[in-house]
Amino acid sequence: MGEANDQGETRSSGKRREWLAFLFVTAVVVPLLTIAAVVGYGFVVWMLQIFVLGPPGHGG
Amino acid sequence: MKIIAALWNTLKRPPVHISLGVIILVSFLGGIIFWGGFNTAMEVTNTEKFCVSCHEMENNVYQELQQTVHWSNRSGVRAICSDCHVPHNWTDKIARKMQASKEVWGAIFGTINTPEKFEAKRLELAQHEWSRFKANGSQECRNCHDYDSMDWDEMSDEARRFMEPAAERGQSCVDCHKGIAHQLPQQMGSVDPLLAGLVREATSVSLDEGETYFSAKSVDLYTDAERTEQAGVLQVATEVNVLETQDDSVKLEIAAWRKEKGFGRVLYEDFGQNISSAVLDKDIAQHGAMIETHQSDVVDELTGLPWGQVSVTLWAEKGAYLGNREALWETAGQTYRDACSVCHTEPAPEHFDANTWPAMFSGMVGFTNMSAPTQELVLKYLQMHSSDFVDAAH
Repeated sequence: MGEANDQGETRSSGKRREWLAFLFVTAVVVPLLTIAAVVGYGFVVWMLQIFVLGPPGHGG
Repeated sequence: MKIIAALWNTLKRPPVHISLGVIILVSFLGGIIFWGGFNTAMEVTNTEKFCVSCHEMENNVYQELQQTVHWSNRSGVRAICSDCHVPHNWTDKIARKMQASKEVWGAIFGTINTPEKFEAKRLELAQHEWSRFKANGSQECRNCHDYDSMDWDEMSDEARRFMEPAAERGQSCVDCHKGIAHQLPQQMGSVDPLLAGLVREATSVSLDEGETYFSAKSVDLYTDAERTEQAGVLQVATEVNVLETQDDSVKLEIAAWRKEKGFGRVLYEDFGQNISSAVLDKDIAQHGAMIETHQSDVVDELTGLPWGQVSVTLWAEKGAYLGNREALWETAGQTYRDACSVCHTEPAPEHFDANTWPAMFSGMVGFTNMSAPTQELVLKYLQMHSSDFVDAAH
């Protein structure tokens, strides 16, 4: 009986942990990484424009 | 650390409790919401309201824009900040948004938080935009103003004369149309470094009585040596004879011609030519005892106007005269070539005669950023190097 109860608790806490991890990654981690990637890309292009490419050109 | 490890433990195993369908659905919805939010945020930062939310923009450039055709016009189409200042291409747009971090820095530390600071930086800021427009052929202008959509027949002849060749070359709009949506930097409208150098040089030229000099700038003329009663203005690059010096003042004799119709206020370089040397006040021109008439009623056949040869003797400040006109003409010629060749091949000065140049010049000078004193000098240069003064003329 006690064992079954323990199993039930582990089950529900495992479920909780899974949902938390899933939502945390989809709603927080991935969006932040995406923004960081876009921001980083923008900065790299900006720096390239300053040091290598010059101002954005025709159709550039 | 423990939390991250637990998270990693959960993530690295296939889900036990959440179905694949739920994961797909939630992730898909999350993606839509994220992308929508991202685009909305990008658009918000492109709105005029966002741009003028800092007072640097609101109080300076935004007020200036409201005086221009890009704010209100007969067709009711207008440009907002981002139409001209943010590239529309995605990569360049993102790079520009990141560049704005510098603007955020400036807003926090007050780099241009007063009108004076802004004015001091205006030239630099304008040059950033001009070099950007130069590089992309004024792409942001051409998003609306397309050479291919210009109907030459609808254009005035004057506009067409310059727009058609520009279209053939695909010329960058801002090459000619600077200062169209905001004011030009003050430096460009007031100080010409070459001319300023000559004016400085003139301060150290010593004047000998009885010698001939040329004004390096326009100079106020007075009836008395104390320079209290103004009599008129001597124009730049005019020949004067120094009669007498007294303290900081000098008595000048200006030999000139003037029209004997009207008040005869304007003195001209030579008979029948509208090259002005000085402008006198009405009373002085009419009754002045300082004016000696040598010849009268010489009729110019082209206009039928009677001209008179006069010499005018008035006082002026010292230190504004050069021994010859060469340096002035050189500066003027350089300025003329630089300013005009931006948009078109400049005609040789001897292409027109002295009386044609003023109308020609005033029609074009609005496209340049020459200051008023520079304009005066350049016009005089053109007139005095016109076909009337050159043998090998057209």
